[in-house]
Amino acid sequence: MTEILKTISLSIGYDSHPVTSDINITLNDGDIIALVGPNGAGKSTLFKTLSSHIKPIGGKIELLGKDLLSYSPKERAKLLGLVLTERPDDMFLKVYDVVAAGRYPYTDMFGNLTEDDKKVIKASLELVGIINLIDRVFNTLSDGEKQKVMIAKAIAQNTPVIMLDEPTAFLDYPSKIELFTLLKRLAKEQHKTIIFSSHDLELLLRYTDNLWIMAPKKPFVAGNSLQLLKDGVIKDYFKIKYSDNEYLIKENV
Amino acid sequence: MKNSKIVLVFGGIILLGLILFVLNLVVGSVMAPLDDTLKVLFKVDTNNTLNVIIFNYRLPQALTALLAGAALAVAGLLMQTLFRNPLADPSMLGISSGASLGVGLVILLTGAISGAAISSFGWWSTIGVSLAAFIGAVAILFVMLAFSARMKNMTTLIIIGLMIAYLAGSITDILKFFSLKEDIHAFVIWGMGSFSGVGTSKMTVFATSIIIGLIATFFLSKNLNILLLGDMYAENLGLNIKRNSVIIILVSGYLTAIVTAYCGPIAFVGLAMPHIARFLFKSSDHHLLIPATMLIGIDMTLLCNLIARMPGLDGNLPINAVTAFIGAPVVISVIMKSKKQ
Repeated sequence: MTEILKTISLSIGYDSHPVTSDINITLNDGDIIALVGPNGAGKSTLFKTLSSHIKPIGGKIELLGKDLLSYSPKERAKLLGLVLTERPDDMFLKVYDVVAAGRYPYTDMFGNLTEDDKKVIKASLELVGIINLIDRVFNTLSDGEKQKVMIAKAIAQNTPVIMLDEPTAFLDYPSKIELFTLLKRLAKEQHKTIIFSSHDLELLLRYTDNLWIMAPKKPFVAGNSLQLLKDGVIKDYFKIKYSDNEYLIKENV
Repeated sequence: MKNSKIVLVFGGIILLGLILFVLNLVVGSVMAPLDDTLKVLFKVDTNNTLNVIIFNYRLPQALTALLAGAALAVAGLLMQTLFRNPLADPSMLGISSGASLGVGLVILLTGAISGAAISSFGWWSTIGVSLAAFIGAVAILFVMLAFSARMKNMTTLIIIGLMIAYLAGSITDILKFFSLKEDIHAFVIWGMGSFSGVGTSKMTVFATSIIIGLIATFFLSKNLNILLLGDMYAENLGLNIKRNSVIIILVSGYLTAIVTAYCGPIAFVGLAMPHIARFLFKSSDHHLLIPATMLIGIDMTLLCNLIARMPGLDGNLPINAVTAFIGAPVVISVIMKSKKQ
């Protein structure tokens, strides 16, 4: 096990107004973490801070033992891949082009793809199970397929960490299950460290072991999902009724 | 699209360009037979009145049209990709309005200081106007660069560009209000666009400046390609968003400024040509789109120049009337087609 990502008394927020403070977490390779919390809890602020879109207002984030801010944008692009809810919207952009963009940090100044790059692109599409879509126009795909293409892009980017912002948001039930299975496979077989945010609490209790929970004016909590359920943390943070919580515990534990 | 098909389409566009180029030399108020034209061109026959017409007028005009077409079309492509807006073109940066303002200022100041119309000043009326257009365009370009270096959000940048364009436009209108009648006429003529202003004397400077800008665009394809994924993805892939938009605006604005200074504000080429390139090649890869857009822009301006120079019209038809006449139906058909998809 290698330590990949670590935060030391991290405070996050905008313009020195902290949303949440004192976040201390350590992630190893192969760890898969779901970030949950009601709207306005600061999930996307944490997400943007960890992906270095915004700067922390206090504390430190270490990626592979080095301060996240000390990496150049190019170096960071080889360490941390993103899958977002925003989708490319271009009439002629092909699936292949989108996944090829993942090779951007590795190509020469003209962006020419080498034979190795092309192999990585195909292998990424195969890993996600959508090699049959390679020549399709991205815009014509279903939401689930688009999601997989973006994940293939992140795999082609070949980063130890992959962060996904609400990857289940637009998916139907079977696609959600498929996505969880895929993420687990990536963590286990490719030793990726995976962080994703989600609102699907019910599914998360069933499919993920570890949760990060955030809520407004409450401390950041990390822990085993079922333990957090039993301890009543989930009940408190999501304002779930006592009887409903008992039901959730009965169903899942 | 298969590689063989790409080569075929490229070949077609280049062939069309060659035909249009030759027609530009042949057609005019004095029709030059093709064989005579070729003789003049390859210096077989130099003792001919055609020699003067072709080398002094038609060849420089065709070369100006060719260079301006490539420059404006690719400048439009850069803007459309940067702003991810199919209707973006260099005028969004306020470049043309800045050029107009510069010309307006020169015309008014000349008239106000001397009390005489600018047309009575000989060389100053041509060099002065080009110079003023260039300074005006570059001044606005620097204002836009200052904004783009501060801003990550492309939508706000578009709005600022349009506002600056309006502002420059209204100052120009105020200037026009105080100008002499003859000067307003000169200003209107400049605003119609023409490829005949460069001529042989200024060709070297014009061509060199344009070619430098065109070469620069080939270094942008990598960054333009990942911009298509959206700013957040591009940033995550290691692109410096602000620096990149400054560079793209600089190259696009530079090309537009030079063309506008020499040929006047020419509309529609930058807006419409990238769409034709995308539809012909069914691609959004800038390695392909940049040369394709340039070549299609060349075909377009050569065609427009030819139409404007048809016998009987005698070069009096303003280029802007022709570009819009061809450009507008293209934009409409592209929008209709994209709605259907």
